[in-house]
Amino acid sequence: MSMLLRDRRMLLPLLLAPGVGYLLLFFGGPLASAFIGSLRLEDGSFTLDWYSRIFTRPSMLRGLGTSIYFGVAPVVVSLLVSVPLSLAIRRHFVGRKLFSGLYKLPLAVPGIIVGLMIIVLFERGGFIDRAIAPLGFGLPKLVRDDWGVGVILASVWKQIPFMTLIITSAFAAIPEDIRFAGRTLGASRLATFFFVEVPLAMPGITAAVLLTFIGSMGSYAIPDIVGPPTARPLSVLMVEEFNLGRFPQVFAMGMVLSAFAVAVLVAYYTLTSRIGDAHGRGDAR
Amino acid sequence: MSMLEITDITKDYGASRALHPVSLSVDEGEFVTILGPSGCGKSSLLRIVMGISQQSGGEIRLAGKRIDMLPPERRDIAMVFQSYALFPHMTVEQNLRFGLRMKNVAKAEQQRRIAHAMEICTLTGLSSRMPRQLSGGQQQRVALARAIVMQPNLLLFDEPLSNLDAKLRDTLRHELVALHRRIGATSLYVTHDQAEAMAMSDRIVVMNAGRVIEVGTPLELYRSPRQAFTAGFLGQTNLLAVTASGRKAHLPWGQLVDLAEDAAGPGQVSVRPESIGIRACDRGGRDTGSCAPATVAGVSFMGASALYTVAIGDTLLKVSQAGGDALIEPGRTVALSFPDRLPLLEDRAPDREAA
Amino acid sequence: MTALSDHAPALRQARSLRFTSDDRLPVAISLYASLFLAIALPLGLMFLWSIADGWRPPNLLPQAYTAARWADVLADDGLLRAAINSVVIAIVVTFATAIIALPTAWAMARFPFRLKRVVEVFILAPIIIPGIVVAVGIGQIFLALGLAYSVAGVILVQIVGTLPLMIRLMTAALETIPDDLIHAARSLGAGTPGIVRHIVLPLAVPGLLAGGLMSFVGSFEEFDKSFIVGAPVVETLPIKLYMYLDPYSMQLPLASIVSFLLLLPALIVFVIAGRVLRDDLMAAGMGKI
Repeated sequence: MSMLLRDRRMLLPLLLAPGVGYLLLFFGGPLASAFIGSLRLEDGSFTLDWYSRIFTRPSMLRGLGTSIYFGVAPVVVSLLVSVPLSLAIRRHFVGRKLFSGLYKLPLAVPGIIVGLMIIVLFERGGFIDRAIAPLGFGLPKLVRDDWGVGVILASVWKQIPFMTLIITSAFAAIPEDIRFAGRTLGASRLATFFFVEVPLAMPGITAAVLLTFIGSMGSYAIPDIVGPPTARPLSVLMVEEFNLGRFPQVFAMGMVLSAFAVAVLVAYYTLTSRIGDAHGRGDAR
Repeated sequence: MSMLEITDITKDYGASRALHPVSLSVDEGEFVTILGPSGCGKSSLLRIVMGISQQSGGEIRLAGKRIDMLPPERRDIAMVFQSYALFPHMTVEQNLRFGLRMKNVAKAEQQRRIAHAMEICTLTGLSSRMPRQLSGGQQQRVALARAIVMQPNLLLFDEPLSNLDAKLRDTLRHELVALHRRIGATSLYVTHDQAEAMAMSDRIVVMNAGRVIEVGTPLELYRSPRQAFTAGFLGQTNLLAVTASGRKAHLPWGQLVDLAEDAAGPGQVSVRPESIGIRACDRGGRDTGSCAPATVAGVSFMGASALYTVAIGDTLLKVSQAGGDALIEPGRTVALSFPDRLPLLEDRAPDREAA
Repeated sequence: MTALSDHAPALRQARSLRFTSDDRLPVAISLYASLFLAIALPLGLMFLWSIADGWRPPNLLPQAYTAARWADVLADDGLLRAAINSVVIAIVVTFATAIIALPTAWAMARFPFRLKRVVEVFILAPIIIPGIVVAVGIGQIFLALGLAYSVAGVILVQIVGTLPLMIRLMTAALETIPDDLIHAARSLGAGTPGIVRHIVLPLAVPGLLAGGLMSFVGSFEEFDKSFIVGAPVVETLPIKLYMYLDPYSMQLPLASIVSFLLLLPALIVFVIAGRVLRDDLMAAGMGKI
């Protein structure tokens, strides 16, 4: 009896070691040293200056606000496209298989190239501008504009496949019978969708929303290329600081960005109390 | 000679005990069924025999060798799973070959055994199919074939028929019995289905609440169960409280019956519905004496028989009558006759939830 | 009862979400049209830019075409070296990630343990924390260890980025293997190595494919961390290309060529492997928090 149990107890850390150990060493370590670095002056003494700068300098404060704006706005747009798109993909239509392979292509396109595409298409004098010019229209400023429309367009383009993939699977995981049960109990197709399917798909949808939000909040290439020169998000300012060689400032900004992302996740976990649930499940199994 | 010898096996989960000391033995070539309601500990016992889970105490011997410390792959036991557990990425033939390869059986011998198993499990022609291309019954047979190619010392069955529909289950039950007769493998079969257990087994081990309640042939256990739980779990029965004196006992409504042995004081007897005779009394009331208290309260026509609910005193009796072409309508008074030599039950398990 | 079951198929069909034959085609057409506008059109335009010889407003198409710029860029030795570097690094990273991830994914998929949730969140963390923070931190450590400006250093730092997704995708794949299958294999005489080789690995193939694809593409296109740890000594394709792509001084034609060079291998791999990817698995691995 004890032999097998002891084996299993030894086995778990042994199995976890490669992956978790690697991340501890090459991710946890650097992160810890970055954190320490963000609290030190050049001479090694303790300081909170790097942090207080973020919250006192107008450009930095603006950057924080811009980061959040560039996190939230694209996600809202992507969600509005992705949900109908996943409902359409769920149905049967000609060439469905090919389509569900092709729509994921943007997953493999780096942000900087997405930025270029936006420039080619939406810049004044770009393709769309030229295409509608004979009709007497002109494109408003959409690239490097004050509202960051270019950033939103680019981020949305990149986010939709990821979001659609996850939301499609979330809907697909709902057993057909549950939908039919809703209908036989007198709910219309729309009511079934809102009161049965959406709540059941909610964990997948929130996961998609949070992950894309965190991703686009920290993204650098897209706002750098097509973002407004006046309002630059923290991630872009961070790279500027890096180019100036002010590493502690980079660390501090990174910590603030990460802390914000973590705070969003923690708020989500607390609201849904999934941490407690998962513990229960793990022990029972 | 007993092939499998389970002695005082216990299993504790923290403070709660899933198996009280359980002992049983299976003779070579015998087909033994462990029968019990869900949660009775039969699956825990099976998993321990197989080696997937470790017992808290006791020992297991197979062919005289102690096996309870061995990992499953060295126990020489093959199992047929409830979910079949066919390897989804292998063809039927590869599934069958897997164990032989693992045990380094020679190529020619592998071929011979696979061909034989495919034939006796009527799988011929399916060897290159993938499991997902097979019907439920075929998958079940592949699982069985995969176990018997191993020519194990012991075959374990974990409710292998419970995922099939009723008709197929019936067919496969007969096939399984026939197959067992042909290959004579020592088999331990776990089920909660009493009909399955009675139809297939040489002996049945009745379990409840982590204990062995009673062991016997299907006939013994059905005809003369010694435990109230057994009587209630195998087929239908009437459990009646009696007061015994000598070889006679009084039923609750005062009627006298014969007992199989001398006894005294309160006890319990089991009377099968089909062993009670039922006869409608004439409306004229010639034989009023035995007729008066018993009235038909309900009747269900079952095809080959009719099942009556008869009210007698405060008791509702189940009585079944074969044939059933002349149904007695509800409300009629009836005369009941009871069999002789009723055995008194021992009631070791007071929680008879399955009655 | 019989009447009910006779009607059941008809009811199911009516209620199911199948389009009627009338609107199946319009839906397909509009979906493919948007796909064309969203993906094919911008890519096509960029390709036109890369071969355009003069394309001034208001022309909708270039006035003339030239292959000279492609020839110039491809003649750059450094670019070829960088491309080879990138492919080799991406392959090594993919395999190393898979090997490191497999045991951990197995533990995450099959073992219940108390701190599982914590470990799960920790594995997710590299996706949450901006890469540049880790890169700068790791750059300083590598400098001390002598790993900075080396291919090995670039590989090590890239795995930090690819490992989380690989672990999560493989965990999702391994979770779908029923316990009974492992038990059956054991009872048929397979020891742990046999089970890993004959049961676990073959059944983990979808997870390995998904994780491998994402790792390869991720590594091939990774810039931040590789730049900080490797540049200017180790040059990968993205490092080389991002220099061409400086947003303020770039020229669109050149930038388009460079984008295509960076995009093409990733797209090819994606189109080939994308056909065998399982959506449910991708979603379970990528979309869980």
